[in-house]
Amino acid sequence: MSQLVKEITQAEFEAEVVRASESQPVVLDFYSTDCPPCEALAPKYDAVAEQFAGKARFAKIFRQGNRDLAQKLGVTGSPTLIFFAGGREVGERMGGEDIRRTAIKAQVESLLAARAA
Amino acid sequence: MAERSDLIIIGAGPAGLAAAIYAARARLRTLVLDESVPGGQVKTTHKVSNYPGFPEDVKGSDLAKAFAAQAERFGARVRRAVEITKHDLASIPKKLELDEEEEVEAPAVIVATGAKPRELGVPGESRFKGRGISYCATCDGAYFDGKDIHVIGGGNSAVEESLFLTQFARSVTIVHQFDHFQAEAATVEEALHDPKIQVIWDSEPRGFLGENALEKLRIENVKTHEFRELRTDGVFVFVGYVPRTDLVKGLVPMNQWGYVETDESMATGVPGLYVAGDIRSKKFRQITTAVADGTIAALAAQKWLKEHR
Repeated sequence: MSQLVKEITQAEFEAEVVRASESQPVVLDFYSTDCPPCEALAPKYDAVAEQFAGKARFAKIFRQGNRDLAQKLGVTGSPTLIFFAGGREVGERMGGEDIRRTAIKAQVESLLAARAA
Repeated sequence: MAERSDLIIIGAGPAGLAAAIYAARARLRTLVLDESVPGGQVKTTHKVSNYPGFPEDVKGSDLAKAFAAQAERFGARVRRAVEITKHDLASIPKKLELDEEEEVEAPAVIVATGAKPRELGVPGESRFKGRGISYCATCDGAYFDGKDIHVIGGGNSAVEESLFLTQFARSVTIVHQFDHFQAEAATVEEALHDPKIQVIWDSEPRGFLGENALEKLRIENVKTHEFRELRTDGVFVFVGYVPRTDLVKGLVPMNQWGYVETDESMATGVPGLYVAGDIRSKKFRQITTAVADGTIAALAAQKWLKEHR
């Protein structure tokens, strides 16, 4: 696993995702076990994290161990990618088997462009 | 420099991996590409009961891994989680760009990209996707522990996956557009006897409602035209599939539903280009028929390669 993707727990969500997104875009991946689409996403997610090293942060959170946060955010599927910037959720969530590496990249790029503007 | 193979197979489901087994055993340099992990739709099927050779049910994910392991044993290279970012399948050799950074080529290509779950196209569906609406029971079933959920559909997938979902949900209500199921009789019998499963017949979904997450499913009885709103914690949709044809659109003949027409050797009319599995126009789509398509495509491609070298 890439060291650029940080595994967090729900206790760290405020600091590592919400507050961290005030300075840089943050992407959060909800994943589960027994989830082939999650397995498929992992290497793509790592690759995108590497591409944006130093510019955006990438975190992941294990759903089974962090049910309360999943519930609070209304996440009911794995994988789910949620994007944060300026201390709140922004843009469209991505989910399921068809998350493309190029689509994640494009969304992060648009968040970076919005910050620069 | 593009990396050269004899045969590139796009899609590592049952069709693609069966093709890979035959091609690799024929000593063709065989490259298999998949955007996900191997297995196609099989990998997220909780159990498979009708694939010959398994007297007991086999987990779909285990069958998927076995297909891939068998292909790799004979030397096929199976690459996972790669995206095709550019493609030229018309010329020879056929060229593909992977992940915007790498090129591969081969004189022959088998496209076995299969099909993906059909969406309902009902108001609220895209809004609540991943917020109560799901298309994969093995992936998302555990989110609905102790909940009351609904399943849309009445074919094999819908009824099989409803049975699987009873291990998590408190109740599973199947909403089906007809007054009987299209699933296999053995599965139907099991479902109709399951105390957690109820069925609402003759009804179709018309909308999904809620604030932040899905709360209600709106349905219409197609015989009485009466509308109802059902309180729900989640809805699983299994209403068939649509073929993944992006790579061959405009290049090969397709039927009115977008499935690719081939001759009986899986040839498309474009020299060196074959399709196999659920993407192909045919009457029945099963793991066994996908495997048969893949076998035929690999043998046909092998013959074509021999004649065109």
